[in-house]
Amino acid sequence: MRLSEVEVGTELAPFVVESVSAEKMKLMAALLRDPTPIHLDEEAVRRLGMGDRVVNQGPANQAYLVNMLLGFAGDPGGIRSVTVRFLGNVFAGDRVECHGRVTEVDADTGLVTVELEETVDGAPVMAGTAVVALPD
Amino acid sequence: MSDDYSHLVGHRFPGGTVTVPGWVDRLWRDAVLADPPGAAVHPGLAYLAAVQGSGVTFQDIFDLAEATAESGPMFGEQTLTFERPLTTDTEYTVEGEITGVVRKHGKRAGTFDMLTFELRLRDAAGDLVATNANTFIFPRAAGGAA
Repeated sequence: MRLSEVEVGTELAPFVVESVSAEKMKLMAALLRDPTPIHLDEEAVRRLGMGDRVVNQGPANQAYLVNMLLGFAGDPGGIRSVTVRFLGNVFAGDRVECHGRVTEVDADTGLVTVELEETVDGAPVMAGTAVVALPD
Repeated sequence: MSDDYSHLVGHRFPGGTVTVPGWVDRLWRDAVLADPPGAAVHPGLAYLAAVQGSGVTFQDIFDLAEATAESGPMFGEQTLTFERPLTTDTEYTVEGEITGVVRKHGKRAGTFDMLTFELRLRDAAGDLVATNANTFIFPRAAGGAA
């Protein structure tokens, strides 16, 4: 997207995960070298009283928001910063929606500030802000 | 066990180097449902690169904070800042330190410490490419260490 096409209040095209995959969590665990059983073993999740579905890794939840920003910026070099707060768990089978809304536009620098929110069934699981540089 | 971990502020990590192979970027993109790879590393992967090159593990940080995995440490906040994108198959130097420890008390959460550490990735010339700051939350039982 170009700078001239955005204004305060512009909504980013959402990034949606229709159903979070337990198989992708296994790949993520290997990449992260993260042995935490709640990502791999439903029985471990039950023992902790967290339900009966494995829990998605936080960096994966963050990456869904980044995917949305990549679509907005059109160029990975456009993403200048991303800050996120982890607010809740995402479980296998959840439908995740990532939303963004422009809150500030600096025409001089070309930098756009975006408010971020990631939800499951409307409940926030991650929130934050990003700064993206857009071309003229 | 301590009621004050502020002495950890300034603690420097060993540091080291890290390279993100193209195949790792490809697998990461597959795991997080991102578009196919180009020359730039998926920005979310900068977090993993920074941690892998820092010379510390999460367990090392838990040990410094006298916490265990069983005590329920959680990710609180993360910031990634880019001067430019990371590129695959490029070696970066990683340096970093603990930048803050704050004790807080919540009605529901009880007593907990928020520990923040910052990692910086630099290119071969020493120029800053990306910064990763993470805040862990360590629940503390009855106001002491977890």
